[in-house]
Amino acid sequence: MITLVLSGIGAALVVIGTVGILRLGDVYSRLQASGVSDSAGTALVLIGLIVWGGWQSHDATLVLLLVLVLLTNPIATHSIAKSAFTRGHRGERE
Amino acid sequence: MAIVEAVLLASLAAVLWRLFRGPTAWDRLLAYNSASNRVVAVLAIAAVTANRSALLDVAVVYVALGFLGIIILARFMERGGANR
Repeated sequence: MITLVLSGIGAALVVIGTVGILRLGDVYSRLQASGVSDSAGTALVLIGLIVWGGWQSHDATLVLLLVLVLLTNPIATHSIAKSAFTRGHRGERE
Repeated sequence: MAIVEAVLLASLAAVLWRLFRGPTAWDRLLAYNSASNRVVAVLAIAAVTANRSALLDVAVVYVALGFLGIIILARFMERGGANR
């Protein structure tokens, strides 16, 4: 039950991020929509999977996966934004 | 859990549309980042519900290689790579 609630919240965040990626106007707005909601949504889905079914042998791998996602996602978003800004992209609306 | 998996797969397809269409290269890069996140979540759900721990190792490697590719491509475009 807790698994379903946590994963449902995570999936709702992912759907909100998808709508932001598809509908927003320029690169930086899309980066904000994807960078905030993706890490939170994926992390909530993974936490829900850790809670599933008590302590199992693959929970340590899930914790490693959670730490990796939470570490690498902000760095990737920041790197993309820095790359776009350094190249002089100033967010023209399409 | 099947509902969550279906929702994640549908949003993966929607994000792939931005990857196909995106006006600038950075749009494609961020769409690739989001798509790899969704793939990792779907892989984790499939691994836990089908009780196959090997898929979790695949997901760990996928996260590492996707992060490496995004960082390398972003640095490449930052120093004057392809613009389109």
